[in-house]
Amino acid sequence: MQRKLSIILENKPGSLVRVVGLFHQRGYNIESLHVDPVTNLEKYRHIEDLLDIKLKENEVSHLSITTTVNDNLLRQILRQINKLIDVLLAVEEK
Amino acid sequence: MLMGALHDEGVELIFGYPGGAALHIYDAIFRQDKIDHILVRHEQGATHAADGYARATGKPGVVLVTSGPGATNAITGIATAFMDSIPMIVISGQVASHLIGTDAFQETDMIGISRPIVKHSYTVEDASEIPRIVKEAFHIATSGRPGPVVIDIPKDTTAPDNLYEYEYPKDVNIRSYNPPVEPDLEQIERAVEAIFEAEKPVIYAGGGAINSNASKELFELNEILNIPVTNTLMGLGVYPGTDPRFMGMLGMHGTYQANMAMHNADLIIAIGARFDDRITNTPKLFAPGAKIIHFDVDHSSVSKIIEANIAVFGQVKNSLKAIINSLNESKEDYDPKKIYSWRKQIAEWKTQHGLKHDLYLSEGDENQILPQQVVQHVYQITKGDAYVTSDVGQHQMFAAQYYHFDEPRKWINSGGLGTMGFGLPAAMGVKFAFPKDEVVCITGEGSIQMCIQELSTCLQYNLPIKIININNEALGMVKQWQDMNYSGRHSESTYQSSLPDFVKLTESYGHVGIKIEKNSDLKSGLEHAFSMKDKLVFVDVYVDPGEHVYPMLVAPNGSLKDMWLDKGKKA
Repeated sequence: MQRKLSIILENKPGSLVRVVGLFHQRGYNIESLHVDPVTNLEKYRHIEDLLDIKLKENEVSHLSITTTVNDNLLRQILRQINKLIDVLLAVEEK
Repeated sequence: MLMGALHDEGVELIFGYPGGAALHIYDAIFRQDKIDHILVRHEQGATHAADGYARATGKPGVVLVTSGPGATNAITGIATAFMDSIPMIVISGQVASHLIGTDAFQETDMIGISRPIVKHSYTVEDASEIPRIVKEAFHIATSGRPGPVVIDIPKDTTAPDNLYEYEYPKDVNIRSYNPPVEPDLEQIERAVEAIFEAEKPVIYAGGGAINSNASKELFELNEILNIPVTNTLMGLGVYPGTDPRFMGMLGMHGTYQANMAMHNADLIIAIGARFDDRITNTPKLFAPGAKIIHFDVDHSSVSKIIEANIAVFGQVKNSLKAIINSLNESKEDYDPKKIYSWRKQIAEWKTQHGLKHDLYLSEGDENQILPQQVVQHVYQITKGDAYVTSDVGQHQMFAAQYYHFDEPRKWINSGGLGTMGFGLPAAMGVKFAFPKDEVVCITGEGSIQMCIQELSTCLQYNLPIKIININNEALGMVKQWQDMNYSGRHSESTYQSSLPDFVKLTESYGHVGIKIEKNSDLKSGLEHAFSMKDKLVFVDVYVDPGEHVYPMLVAPNGSLKDMWLDKGKKA
């Protein structure tokens, strides 16, 4: 089943390639990918609340990835991505 | 800047090898006297030595290498530490910032090459960042599930003419990194309930329990529960190897009783273990009737291969403390009689097909020396109290089966990556940490040749390690698989007569070499070697080349109860 993953990560050199590299290392395929620095902070207040932090403009990026996996694999991918040091949050976008 | 930060982090020892891009750092090493630098003979040796030091002490090992080949030579050691979750800091020199990307002399993309095998990595962009990066790197390497962290330092950021105000940060705060520490008490209660209900429980503890320094808590827990315990290859020593409730190692070459107990259990309490494929055999057939409680610090290790019914996230030590507290309140509800028949069953399995111990000690000269005998003699001579490092192959499995570790951090081996060449440099790292303790490297003639150059380092720093070379004149484990699965076709697993004279080789490095070929010389030869307290002694023991490691799981498509027990005999 095709899933859309929504990942918030630090906007630093090397952050994106850690996520993308992980897909290949663990044998998952990326079907589409889109990444932008976060400028409209209003949409991300829930992350500030969840992690008890304050975000600034362009400080983090929003990465969307679509991939085809089953439920178990999806859980495993999300746990692996969330483990990356530069990732603040990875969830399935419904 | 860098040396100051390392000193402030409590580093006493660095293993390294100099080169162009690291020269500013090496000059700073020369001009200080707080941190000792150990000059190895190959960067792989530096990483394994730092790794051995970290496994034995629990403190992170520190490695310093130059760019290009220095960095790439360190890769195998970094991957070894990564697979076994060992805290390590690897500082690699890099070409100057303005040369990056120009294919400069000794340039390589260290961050790129090491990315899949590190917990995290940093490139220093400005010298002023060094204290913060060092602080964060040590925090990441040692907290949560530990692992190696690479710091790549371009040469210009260590230039001595750039002066900065130095202040080492007191705290570290990485907003995107918060590994679990304390367990969820609701899960603890669910775990207690499951334990109370179980009639055939097993404790299965791995390297994570050692990393979390949880051996005391594990023993305390089992003083209440009296459950049969098995350890993974990485977990040996976290529960006392001579305790009557200990069943031995499980998995590919685990004991019959440990594998049978896991297969037939109704409850598996996994503690800092990750259900690796050497343990589960075919996951679909793994422990069909068992409920799984999984204690781990790493979310991604739980339900990765075997679905956990109850997951307890947190530092294993804290989680075990929490469960002990809970049990102390409700112990009267626990009926230890419920598992009596289960324990009796396990004792029967042990009697039927347990490892044979005395048999091996009584062999005469009409037979060749068996590798198991060598390990048993070493165990007796060192009174089970030595630090034992090993390489990878049959000798590693014999050591794991026949040396009984009563304490954690004394069995030092490459479990996850299975790195040949690990044993000698790892033993150096242990010896630097504990110079007064006996350090033994149990190895084979294949593995030892992969990092043999470190004998020179051992001479320079006077490291009286004992190297026990279990010499079967073949890549024994490869040969065993070829015997069992490829109709005995020994493709590239023997060397004809090209082996070196290890006695002469050792002597040329300034150490003592002993060759043992007869059973009647084995005990006395080993005793003689261990009596030379201030010498590195290389004992080259020729053993029966036909000996296999048993039990051995039947793969593929076997379960944990499917084992070869002997040549031609299946369970």
